[in-house]
Formats: sequence, structure tokens, C-alpha cells
Amino acid sequence: MAKPIFEWDYSSYPGAKKYPKLFEPIQIGNLLIPNRIKYAATEDNFNDHNGFITDADVAYIRRRAEGVVGGLCFMQGVYMDEAQKGQGYVGQAACWDDKYIPGLKKMADAIHAEKAVAGFQLMDCGRVGAVEVPAGHGPSTVPQRLRIFKPMYEMSKEEIKEMVQQHVDAARRGVDAGFDIMEISGIVGYLISNFISSYTNRRTDEYGGDIHGRMKSVVEIIQGVKEACGPDIPVGIRLCAEELLDDVRGNTPEESMESYKIAEEAGADYISVTAGWQESIVPVISRDVPMGSWIHLAKLAKEHVNIPVQMAYRLFLPELPEKAIAAGELDIWEICRSMIADPLMPKKVLEDRQDEIRHCVACNLCLARLFRDAPMTCYINPVCAHEHDENFFPKPVEEDDEKEIMIVGAGPAGLECAYVAAQRGHDVHVYDKEEALGGTILEASKAPYGDEELMTCINYQRIMCEKFGVEFHLGTEVTEELIQDEMPDSVVLATGPVYPEIGGTVSEGATIVNVLDVLGGSAEVGDNVMVWGNRKPGIGCALFLAKQGKRVTIVGKEKTAGFDVNPSFKWRYMIYLRQNRVMAYNDCDIEEINEGEVIVKTYDGYRFPLKCDTVVMSEREANEGLKAVVQGEGIELFVIGDALVPRNMSSAVHDGYRIGLRI
Amino acid sequence: MPVNTEKEITTLWRNLHTAQSEICKTYYRWREVAIEIAGPETKPLDVALKAAEMMGVDIGKNFLPRLNWLKGEETFMLNLGRQLAGMWASEGAATTVEQGEGPSEILIKCTRDPWPTAARHYGVPMEEVALTRERLFQAILVDVNVFFDTPLKIEMLKAIPRGEGEWVFKLYKDESK
Repeated sequence: MAKPIFEWDYSSYPGAKKYPKLFEPIQIGNLLIPNRIKYAATEDNFNDHNGFITDADVAYIRRRAEGVVGGLCFMQGVYMDEAQKGQGYVGQAACWDDKYIPGLKKMADAIHAEKAVAGFQLMDCGRVGAVEVPAGHGPSTVPQRLRIFKPMYEMSKEEIKEMVQQHVDAARRGVDAGFDIMEISGIVGYLISNFISSYTNRRTDEYGGDIHGRMKSVVEIIQGVKEACGPDIPVGIRLCAEELLDDVRGNTPEESMESYKIAEEAGADYISVTAGWQESIVPVISRDVPMGSWIHLAKLAKEHVNIPVQMAYRLFLPELPEKAIAAGELDIWEICRSMIADPLMPKKVLEDRQDEIRHCVACNLCLARLFRDAPMTCYINPVCAHEHDENFFPKPVEEDDEKEIMIVGAGPAGLECAYVAAQRGHDVHVYDKEEALGGTILEASKAPYGDEELMTCINYQRIMCEKFGVEFHLGTEVTEELIQDEMPDSVVLATGPVYPEIGGTVSEGATIVNVLDVLGGSAEVGDNVMVWGNRKPGIGCALFLAKQGKRVTIVGKEKTAGFDVNPSFKWRYMIYLRQNRVMAYNDCDIEEINEGEVIVKTYDGYRFPLKCDTVVMSEREANEGLKAVVQGEGIELFVIGDALVPRNMSSAVHDGYRIGLRI
Repeated sequence: MPVNTEKEITTLWRNLHTAQSEICKTYYRWREVAIEIAGPETKPLDVALKAAEMMGVDIGKNFLPRLNWLKGEETFMLNLGRQLAGMWASEGAATTVEQGEGPSEILIKCTRDPWPTAARHYGVPMEEVALTRERLFQAILVDVNVFFDTPLKIEMLKAIPRGEGEWVFKLYKDESK
């Protein structure tokens, strides 16, 4: 008889009526899970470089445990070998010795404190491991395609046996630490997936050959871990449904489904379905991939196994898993990045506060930082990675310290600052000369390949501003006179950037337009366009115009186009620029703009003419407007977002949040 | 000020050719240093071949992200041939890639190569130039073959430094494997 760890009753919650399938219990092994929600194990680089758990990680996971409202909450995958070949991240938790158990227990206790089911994941990073040592291990010595990863060496049979035992020993430690459910990670290029894939497993012994041979070590791990865990702790496995490695002769989808069946036969209590490897050339989870694109893989898995099937991968809205569960295509909704962006996301769904969810914008900054040995952060959630620091949460101001705050600019920086300051008790007024909220995001969200999702940030901020009583003065341009009339206690300038005039010679017949006017649709643009500026605004605008069939060339000062885009997303933009035949001249300046032609000058002095009928200005500078006026009146002044230094939406949000806390 | 296209291109070309010439010269200067450090017991050819091997393996790693099996073996081999030829062309050689006798055979030809000329200035035997190029190409294939699980080989059929008028390399699939 399956039993729950904690009792939950969702019957009085509006979200449970709206999404009945998400809040329906499910049995996994001998465990009854109260709902269908899982925070999937995610590396965060918060732990110390010896693998010991830190307070930052405990606080991080506790917040996510609160979010799953009784569901599954998995801590990050642990590496299991003292030699550290399986360690893929500098701050990855370790579990190769009993000395790690006290720290791991803190994680389990933190999850239990929120009445959630504590999940433990075993993860040897294999091909993407060995982050602190010169070489990694794998089934075969297959060279790395990406140079950031270490060389691989073939494991002997003895080493494979040892690796299996390491999984078993680590599972036992997880049980001793108090975890309720066990998971083996075999995805995206980690060791188990290396054994399963025909791409990386070229062995001719019993651990290689056909899919059954390639699954042999996996079967041994599942059986060993099951035995170590006993009947009351379910053991699941994460496996690729589609490796997306056809270009290097990886597994066929049929082989992947066979691996699912073998895992089930070996005793796995559930399958977590994934797609793609770190090395895949196909995008899987970035913003340009429409939500719900991979749900067919969960459905396929359901057709091949009888154990519960779980999946994440761009299921950012509860409607998608609710529908899939109702249709019998999925059993459990896994959430990763959506709960990095908003740890309480499913809780808000349950409480029917869906409009208060801060949605992930699928930029992959969180993951990009991990591969660069940096702690995780979130593009749009300033609190992420600071959950352990009480100074990062809004505190009410004393009654005597309440201020009247004028925020100039209703973009992401201004709005973020506004609701945080208002939440603390200040009287906040947001002014914008436009009638709509959003600042430059209104135009930026018009760019193709999923940028409309950027507006979810503005929608969230609007709701929070309304919730905390921020007063909007839209269609109102802030002038010196207005500031003198209002004489607020503080002014926050979130006015966005200015677009400087071009430095070179400009002839009379030249057509020059602004990037915002182009994206907003108010500027007339010819068929041959040069976009001045090779950062994200220029790239977005170039793709927007190229999609309309225009011939577009980007010219910019940065050494590479997309200098300000995080590397996990930048490669997508580079491909889209090529696909849309957008030529980029980097490290260049504009010498002259003539009618029908621009003279471009390279960094080393070469000059060449570029035919174009329209020049789009996307280069930005800090906005000095109103600063002198505010300072002249002796009013407390803050400058945030692009008005301070033109960067990106993330910087705007983070600036806004921090100043909102400080005022 | 109007752009004088001819002047811009001429300057650009001149600088490109100087840079290409420097690639060869830098290598041969380095070779002299390596031979001197290796001592009189070491044969210069052994130094050159070892260098070609190490450089080839490293260059081969750079090829991996640019190759793709999706379009099949024939396209894969053609692209590999183009990568080899392109690399050589960037050093100043005039190269072409042609289909060989069968679908699994590619010919990489070079009718003009700055390497033998530079070698002559540094007193390098012409046979060493030929063997070094062959070893370099062979070493490039090492990681490519392991990565894509392919049995590809490359063979030198003609060499300019041997007085044969052109370089011809045959890239082919080793059917015995």
C-alpha cells in the first residue's frame, strides 16, 4: 500500500479546481506523491569546491521546496568519485564519502520543512565532467567536439564496476541523509548517457555493442541502487528520448525507447524524459523553441513503458502539462528554469495567483554561468542565489522613513524598482511619456525568435505594482517644472538610453531612423538596410527586418556581434543571422553616410562602401537628461537601467530591484 | 572622401600575402630553433614530422564542430576535403577539391604553394616538405576518424616539392576496415 510522506489537501485551493490533474496524487513505487509537480534537479554551483553543501544551497532548495506545495523537490545531482572525474561543476555537491552526509541531511531537512518529497540525484558528469582534473572518463576515448570540455579516456571493466558501486554507495548515503526518492541522471552527455549512446560508446566488450550491451552498466546501477534503497524508496532515471546527435551518429529514437524499456525491466520506478545533449546542434530549450515542442517525446515514452513519465523542457505554463496529463501523455510536470525565475511558481498556480508569476524568458543565462564556473543567477529574478541573504528581501521602512518617490520611466528597471519600493511602504509614482508600460521592451519584444516572451516580465511587474499601490502617470513627460512642482523625496531615473548621432559625415539625402521606431512600426525602411550597432538591439532589429525580406547588414564597434548576449543563446543568433543572410561587419566604424551608401571603416583602417537606402541607429549611450535638475534641487537621486549604462533587460531588472531595496 | 576601391583592395591583398608568407617563415624559424635545442643526434625530419603530427591533431580538433554526418558519407567527405583545402588556401596555396573515381574518394589538388619556396630559403630538403604535408593531413584525420567512427585515409599522389608540378592528395575510405 503506497503511503505519502506528508498529507496535503488541495480541495480548498482555486488552482486545484482549475488544474485538477496537476494536483492529483500519483503513486511512484511505494510512495504516494500528493501532486504532479517536481522541481527537477539543477546544478547551481553554490557549494564549496570540495563538494560540501553551503547555506546558500540549503536556502535555495528550501525556497523551491516551498514552491512545489507537497510535490517532488530534487536537490542537484551529486558526483560520486573521489578522483573528481565525475564532477562537472565547480560547486557541485559531492557524495563519495560519509563525511558529506551531514550537509546532505540539511538539504533533505530543508525540503521536508516545507512538507515536500525530498529527491536525491546521482550524477556522474562523464563527458562533461572532470572540471577540476585534467581528464575525464567514459566508455570510449571519443574526442570532444567542444574544447571547453576535458579529454576523455576509456574506462576499464574494473573501473566500470567501481563506478557502479559508487552509485550504490552514494544512494545509500542519500538514504542515510533522509531523502525519500532516488534518481539516476543519464542525460545530456553525462556518463550514463555516454554509455547508452552509439556516438560515445564504441566498446566491443559486454558494455558496448548493441543497445542492450550499452545499457548493461545502467542496468547494474539501477539494480544496485534499488537494493541499497529498499522497497520504500523509489528509484527513477532520467534518460534521453531523443539525443539529437544524428550529425555524429548518435542513437536512433528507436534505440532510445529501447533504453526506456530496459530501464523499466531493470526496476526503474519512473522515467524522466529529456531531449538533446550539450553537444547537440539542435536547440532544445531556448526561447526560439516554442513551448510544448517536446511533449511528443513524453507521449512516445508513455507508449513504451508502464511506469510514470515525467518531463520538463519548455513546459512553462501549467496549461501545457495539465492538458498532457489529462490526455495520458505525461504523468508528472517537471520544472527547472521556471522555478529558478520564480521559486513559488506552482504554489502561485495552486493559489490562483498565476498573474503574479515571474516567468522565465528562456535565455539560459543560468546554465551558461555554470559552464563558466560561476554561481547560478537568473536573468530576471534578482533574488536567485541570494535566498540565504535576508538583505535581499524587501523589508518595511519605518513610518518616519516613508518617502514619496518619483520614478521616471516605466521600463523594466523603473517598474521593478517601483513595486519593491512600494512593497516596503514608500509612496511610489511612476511617470512615462508613453501611454503604455514597458519602455524599450515594448519594441524589443517585436523581434523574432521568441522575444515576445520578454513582455512577461513587464506584465509581472505591472501586476506587482498594482498590488503594492504604485501610482502610474502615463503619457506624462517629466520636466524640470514637474520635478519642481512635485518635489519628491527621491527621484529614480529609469529613462532608458539615448541614441547618439553618428560621428561621421552625414549627407542631406541619407535616411536615418531609430531602432525603436523600426521595431515599433512607425519608421519607413527601404529594402537595403544597414543597422548601426552589433549588440542585441541591433541583432534583434536586423532579424526583424530580414524576416520581412529586406537585405540587411550589421555594422558595429564590438569585436563580435552579440557581445552582450549570453553564450548559451548567442550561438542561436549567429545561426539565425546566417540563415537570414544578414552580414555583420564587426570592429568597424561609420565614416560617412551618403544617399544610398555608407562608408565603413574597419578597425585597421580599411574603408569600403556599403550600399543601403536606410540606416538604423541602435547604438546607445547613458542618459544624462534630468540628472542636473534633480541634483540642483537637492533631491536624492538614483539612476538605473540603460539610463545608467546601456546593457540588457536583466541588468535593468537587477538594478531596479536593488535600488528598490535601498531607498 | 570617396573610397578608392582599387587602392583598398590592393592594400588588403598585400597585407594578406605578407601574413601568409609569415606563416611559412615563422614555422621554419621555429624549426631551426627546435632542431638546435633537440641536439645533433636528432634528425631534422623527425622534428618536422613530430611537429606535423602534433599540429595536425590540434587542427583536427578544430574540424570537429564544422563537420556533420547528417547529409551522408559523400557530402561528409567532400566537406572534409574542402576543410583541408581551405586551411591550405589560407596559408597562400591555390587549391581545388574534386570528386575522385568513386563516391568515397576525394582529390585535393594544389597548383601553387608558398611552402616549398619558403623552405628553400631556410635550406630545408624538399622531401621533408612533402612528407610533412602528408603527415599533417594524416594527423588531422586521427580525431576526425575516432569522433565520427569513420575509416578515412589520405594519401599523397603528387607533390610540388618532388617536382611533379602539383600536389594531389587522395582522401578515401579504407574499405578493409
